[in-house]
Amino acid sequence: MQNEKPSYLRELIETKEFELNMGPQHPATHGVYRAILTLDGERIVGLNSVVGYLHRGIEKWAEYRTWQQATPIFDRLDYLSAVINCHGYVGAVEKLLQVEIPKKAEYIRVICDELQRIASHLIWFGTHALDIGAMSVLFYGVREREAIIDLFEAHFGQRLLYNAYPIGGVRLDFPKGWVDACRKFLKTFNSRIDEYETLLTENRIWKQRTIGVGVISKEDAIAYGLSGPTLRGSGVYFDVRKSIPYSAYPDFDFEIPLGKNGDVYDRYLCRIREMRQSVRIIQQALDGMPEGELKGKVPKIIRPPVGEVYYSVEGAKGQLGFYIVSDGKDKPYRVHIKSPSFINLQGLDVMSRKQLIADMVAIIGSIDIVLGEVDR
Amino acid sequence: MAEENISEQKNKGWTPSGEPFLTEAVKKCAEKFKEFVSPYPNCAKEASILVKKEKILEVLNYLKTEESLKFDYLSDLTAVHFPESEFPIVVVYHLFSTEKKDSLRVKVELKEGESIESAVSIWPAANWMEREAYDLMGVKFENHPNLKRILLPDEWEGHPLRKEYPLGGPQEKEIRANKYGKPFLLPDDLEEAKKIIEEGKNAE
Repeated sequence: MQNEKPSYLRELIETKEFELNMGPQHPATHGVYRAILTLDGERIVGLNSVVGYLHRGIEKWAEYRTWQQATPIFDRLDYLSAVINCHGYVGAVEKLLQVEIPKKAEYIRVICDELQRIASHLIWFGTHALDIGAMSVLFYGVREREAIIDLFEAHFGQRLLYNAYPIGGVRLDFPKGWVDACRKFLKTFNSRIDEYETLLTENRIWKQRTIGVGVISKEDAIAYGLSGPTLRGSGVYFDVRKSIPYSAYPDFDFEIPLGKNGDVYDRYLCRIREMRQSVRIIQQALDGMPEGELKGKVPKIIRPPVGEVYYSVEGAKGQLGFYIVSDGKDKPYRVHIKSPSFINLQGLDVMSRKQLIADMVAIIGSIDIVLGEVDR
Repeated sequence: MAEENISEQKNKGWTPSGEPFLTEAVKKCAEKFKEFVSPYPNCAKEASILVKKEKILEVLNYLKTEESLKFDYLSDLTAVHFPESEFPIVVVYHLFSTEKKDSLRVKVELKEGESIESAVSIWPAANWMEREAYDLMGVKFENHPNLKRILLPDEWEGHPLRKEYPLGGPQEKEIRANKYGKPFLLPDDLEEAKKIIEEGKNAE
């Protein structure tokens, strides 16, 4: 190990571990996250995470609203992928109500979810590269995200927080010309991903900064409950879309990209490949779009049966689970959110052990946290 | 057996609807631990079991290590508060098996003030989840390496997700009752503003 000093030096020069504050105001923590690092020279030997700066009590708040009124607040969890958050909550309530969702609504949901996943990954792609020092990448990433947000604006009427789905289906069909615009975007997007990859994937500096950095083994990744690309980077085959199929995902043919070594580079590759798979899913959904109703039979005033339900979707960051308890009244009795960023952040302790302090920024970026979701 | 157990619980106003969903895992667990584990009804066909507090660590360990089950992934850990029930706190574990693609819910009921064994020794993932349950719900976990508040500041009083905790915080009633007076704008003149503030202080 490089940090092991020769014994004669250690006797001559007395060294001490010292603590360094990273955050809460730090550009690379992607929000208000504070890491108290214990350093031995340039190596990290201890990490104490401090979260909760953005805690808004969403779970408590939801208990005081009716089932429909509570939907928009969940957009504020992971504000970069609001559509998927909404799908998680709405899906959980539908499972509790046992309503059947029309096929067409499910297809529209899948298309929007996957577009949102691409948009979220693009922001990660840009900021992660920016953290490590490749600045131009951010501009490319945001350029394509802008096109997706324009599509969303045409469909939902909003640009960031959409309140995307009502309980029971979707609000509207795609507007006139939307499908063509979406196809046009997808056509160019695949070549754009190639463009991104020429910037980074074989870039010597990028590889030196990421390969072998922030390694987490397969066993550790499962034990620490990681999910999403952070888990799959370690080679664990767990994607909610395949493992616990929901919505219309069983209809589509797509692959789950897996990493091998569980380092920053593998997690990067996983996300890049995932964007290609998302494009595949959207194309299939657009081709096979069925005709039919947009909303299932849901009563105006929702009173689900007494009981509990756990429903999870594959968010952009990982498994986003909703545990909902109903006491048969018009408000949820308890809503618990399993937020992937919160759990993934726990794994940072393992990933950063014995790493250089300069790599800390790369490792945090590779987990892709959004603090709105960590703190809820 | 399950129905008897539930009628014994005296859950005021909260009896889950539906039938217990019997998967292989539920049957095996109920067979092995007999009176300590019973299948729990669920309306959405999700496998759930109710475990007695004393055996929770053994049951979780069995579920993780047993070759035919292998629940190696802790999806979620949380707690629910039923203030009027005999067992006001229910701790809920959601397990998943990455190999068998099977999920299971494990529930434990606690009396007021009772604590439960921590699951950190089985899944390190439980560390922050248990801290969160302690922080927001006041559940105490024994043998937890670092049971401190996580989302709220250390000096916070009370546990907000309990049902008796008001949405607006502990001062909600006083604010609603206008104890601090109606809000008003201070005058532009600094001296006058100071006077009003000082008078207000004296009045308290």
